[in-house]
Amino acid sequence: MSVRIDDRVRACRNGDGGFGPVPGAPSEPEPTALAAIALDDEDARAWLRAHQRDDGGFGPVVGPVVRDDTGVVALALAAGPERQRALDKVVGTFGNNGPGVEGDPLGWPWSDGTHGWVEPTAWAMLALRAHRPSAVERVRDGLELLRVRESVGGGWNFGDRTMLGVDQRPYVQTTGIALLALHGLDEALSARGLRTLRDRWGAEASGLLSLAVATAALRRYGAPEADDAMRRLREAAPSGQDAVSLGWSSLALGPGLRTLEVP
Amino acid sequence: MTEPAPEPRIDRRTFLVRAAGTAAVFGGAAALGWRLGHPGRPTPWNERIFPPPGEARVAVLRAPSYDRGLEAIVLDGLRAVGADVGGARVLLKPNMVEYDPGSSINTDPRLVAAAVTALRRMGAASVTVAEGPGHRRDTGYVVTASGLAEALHDVDTSFVDLNTGVAAPRQTNSSYTGLRELWIPRAVTDADVVISMPKMKTHHWVGVTLSLKNLFGTLPGRVYGWPKNALHWAGIEGSILDIAAVVRPSYAIVDGIVGMEGNGPIDGTSKSVGVVVIGDDPVATDVVSATIMGMDPSRVAYIREAGRFLGQADPDRIVQVGEDPAAFVTPFAPAPGFASLLR
Repeated sequence: MSVRIDDRVRACRNGDGGFGPVPGAPSEPEPTALAAIALDDEDARAWLRAHQRDDGGFGPVVGPVVRDDTGVVALALAAGPERQRALDKVVGTFGNNGPGVEGDPLGWPWSDGTHGWVEPTAWAMLALRAHRPSAVERVRDGLELLRVRESVGGGWNFGDRTMLGVDQRPYVQTTGIALLALHGLDEALSARGLRTLRDRWGAEASGLLSLAVATAALRRYGAPEADDAMRRLREAAPSGQDAVSLGWSSLALGPGLRTLEVP
Repeated sequence: MTEPAPEPRIDRRTFLVRAAGTAAVFGGAAALGWRLGHPGRPTPWNERIFPPPGEARVAVLRAPSYDRGLEAIVLDGLRAVGADVGGARVLLKPNMVEYDPGSSINTDPRLVAAAVTALRRMGAASVTVAEGPGHRRDTGYVVTASGLAEALHDVDTSFVDLNTGVAAPRQTNSSYTGLRELWIPRAVTDADVVISMPKMKTHHWVGVTLSLKNLFGTLPGRVYGWPKNALHWAGIEGSILDIAAVVRPSYAIVDGIVGMEGNGPIDGTSKSVGVVVIGDDPVATDVVSATIMGMDPSRVAYIREAGRFLGQADPDRIVQVGEDPAAFVTPFAPAPGFASLLR
């Protein structure tokens, strides 16, 4: 694990113990949660506990837009009432398919009351599989969302398989986090996603976030490309600019990855 | 052996049905708000902030390729519309919503770099390029793979990722959605002059995407998501208006050298037009650009509504200071469902 990368993450820490999305920015739940996982940082967890919303959730609230970072935060929190309330919020949060659409999986949205998408669904699945294994139906719904949003040939983008009849290409970053979430749940789906990731990770490695998430997933699946990805990530991460990319980098290279290795 | 993949489930029909639920989530104004501004009813914008739009100036400039003379073209255009950027901190906002090799999704990095150098020559104190891509969360990938990072390095200009930068809530200046406030990045609010720099494209939800729609990328994904789905639920057209009423770009530079027709803004086909459109009013610039695309801008609902308060949409009050736009009209294949926009 590179100390320099962890130092870069710590550069986003504020005096209140939380982490901002970039150095100098006010603390926010998502970068704080990633830092808490990556660095096993108790001050970051304390900041998270102090910023839990009344509904048990975490995330910025801007007018009626209630961003939901609760999945990743639930993974970052230690066992206790705050984590249980966060998990309750995760269980009770649904993507909104709107009126007249029945039968489609709901998944989890970026913000309350909107459609479910791949990345927030993956975080919610990881949190529930790790700490609320009784939420079988919700995990099954998340898995179903990943199945129907899968890009043709495998992998995922933000969450559209087709748009107006056009197949939408997968992205490395979203393919990586989806793979982490469904590890052990659907071998065929994982195999297609992993093949996509192995094919594409190098082409998108110029993006630190893509490289970091890909590295985490390649390591998780024991892919032969994992060592090369780790080497490239060690080289690239010290020049990272934002806390989410840096947090993922630290997580992908260090012991924090175990947090995402749900049974 | 590859497993058979499931059938597609998420498509336009689903999206439209889902979007119909907007009002229930965002307080009712979202779906209907932009229709509220009919005579005799309260206007959905703050009249103290927005006086009736005045005369606008738009320059249409011949630009056959990305390979030569772009700085002079941009300089000519900005001067022709009377752009005043002396001593100003300028923020350039290109369209980098996504990257797909070989496509025409993005404002071309060469034109962005040319605009940077032109603005410096006009005395701008600083020029920053900023974007918050709406589809891909990994802005670093979009910026490097598209060539924008290299182009900006060549002109020694910094890039700000609006998805991650410091941001703060601002009250909306209009009420076409129920959003009430928007998180606006400091890079935007600290700029003296914001220049919207879109690609000339069709758009499968709103008909065309130009300098007004381009402003979606000023709002951070870390609040609004990837895609910025909260804005879709709030009403895409209403969101365009509410965002533009807060960001209030001073100028627009439209990349129409090669645009995108058909199923834009991502999956359409490249369309060579050979033009750069520069204006001192984003609404007027969009009116002229849509006209060049063979569209009737008065049939683009959000442009028509924007013309009531954000800028000038009346062609008779748009002063053409460059070449004759009629010489550049290159009908675009409309986005699916938008044939009614054609002249």
